Amino acid sequence: MGATPGVLVFDTGPLSHFAQQGWLGILRVVVGDRTAVIPDTVVDELRAGAEQRVHLKLVLDAVWLEHRALTGPDELSEFARFAEMLAAKGRNLGECGVLAYAKANGATAVIDDGPPRKLARAHQVACKGTLGFLCEALHDGLLSIDLISAVADHLLESEYRLPFSTGGFRRWAHEQGLIPPFQ
Amino acid sequence: MGMDAEALGRRIGEARGRAGVTQAELATEVGIDRSAIAKIESGQRRVSAVELGRTAAALQMRIEWFLDDAPHALVSRRNAQDPGSPSPRIDAMAERITREVEFVLRHDDRITPAAVQARTMPETAAGAEELAATARNLLRVPLDGPCTGLAEKVAAVGLFPFSLDLGAESADAATVLLDTGGVAIVNGGLRVGRRRLALAHELGHFLVADDYAVDWRIAETLGAEHREALFDRFARALLLPAQSLRAVWEQHTSADGDTRTAAVRIASSYRVDMATLARRLIELGLAARPDADRIRATRTNRADIVELDLVVGDELAPPALPREYERAVLRLFRSESITAARAMDLLLDTWTEDMLPTLPQRGEDQIWQYI
Repeated sequence: MGATPGVLVFDTGPLSHFAQQGWLGILRVVVGDRTAVIPDTVVDELRAGAEQRVHLKLVLDAVWLEHRALTGPDELSEFARFAEMLAAKGRNLGECGVLAYAKANGATAVIDDGPPRKLARAHQVACKGTLGFLCEALHDGLLSIDLISAVADHLLESEYRLPFSTGGFRRWAHEQGLIPPFQ
Repeated sequence: MGMDAEALGRRIGEARGRAGVTQAELATEVGIDRSAIAKIESGQRRVSAVELGRTAAALQMRIEWFLDDAPHALVSRRNAQDPGSPSPRIDAMAERITREVEFVLRHDDRITPAAVQARTMPETAAGAEELAATARNLLRVPLDGPCTGLAEKVAAVGLFPFSLDLGAESADAATVLLDTGGVAIVNGGLRVGRRRLALAHELGHFLVADDYAVDWRIAETLGAEHREALFDRFARALLLPAQSLRAVWEQHTSADGDTRTAAVRIASSYRVDMATLARRLIELGLAARPDADRIRATRTNRADIVELDLVVGDELAPPALPREYERAVLRLFRSESITAARAMDLLLDTWTEDMLPTLPQRGEDQIWQYI
């Protein structure tokens, strides 16, 4: 694990998970010297959601997240190709922008949902999820297992549909040796 | 390789024209100045992903339609219309359905429309009758008797039927030929007998491989040698085969003693409307015009249904999508190839997301995909 150089392009979901817990600062440290980008379609989703969910405003204000409008011919044609599978009625455009930016610019997509991840694999787009960043934060000693457990359990059950119940992440992390023995 | 700003801008302008939306109206929807829309359309300004998404929503298009070439049948249809003029509703619906069906055919490997050899366009009423007999063979229906479940039967020969209520001001039906198979759209606002007649008429267009046909008022074209009139004749012959209609008409008129009861019984069992039955009786020489006019004015009522013990069918009740197509969409959703929102679009908004199957749990070993 640990930081690898490169560009990370974030979907709305993973940023929202970190912001909701007040961990945006932690995420910034985990990102390290990698560049963190959000495409205009994610900015648009964050703006739309920020009125109802204040923590999204923090994401928009984060100076270390670079906003990029997708306007290049390759970016737009990739955007259309991903939209064909994922988008409808203005929904899911965030993740289409993330995949398009990643594909056109050789970045890693940070995304949680099943269909865009499957599509990323099919189109040789590198891909990472919220859980991956939680593990990095755990590994770097930035967050304790107690803090991460609830968020990770929720992700495992609802977003990833994995057969882990409450406390499942802690058990799994122990089995994998991800947690130092004193935790 | 992406599309340059000029080509994309031109396509946005064309789509705006077809949707009957002004530059100012589009600018308001997208949230930019009218001058910016003008520059986008002339290729002087690049459009962003967010703007393209909003443009698609405003013009009731899908994003990828701006970048992908339209199916050839749609292109030839557009070329025949005034450039820049708004599309009639049925054309917009035909475009949507054609593109969505093509999408599903591209991405689902189990849906395979049957390939049907194109038949020669009939030139006479006798030719239309022959084509109807050929069609019955293709549909695997006996040459006599009613032809019920028409939607399923035409789907089995490669013509996917969609029945959607397009309102009273719309055309009755349309057909678009695909590379393999075809799509028929029937205005579900019609009554059941007319819906079946419309679909039978579209099957005629499909069998002679007409690229794109829109039928405004089926069975209102006069003149036995006129092309559309021949398809009407084909449709009547398909639903009311001459030999069996002769036999049942004779049997019922002699048994019931009155033409009204005979007409109500036959229209019910053959699932046709009275106007179709009346016209068929005339063209087969089974009824004189005054009798036929009385039959045309006949309305099957509740007492008829009870006393004659009629079976009431509701084929092609809107919204109706081809079962095989719906199954393919569900397969794409289950395999997580498409999102729930995309599935709703493919199902033409005739489903709601809570109707979709619940996706199963993944295996524990898949956790590594998320790290």
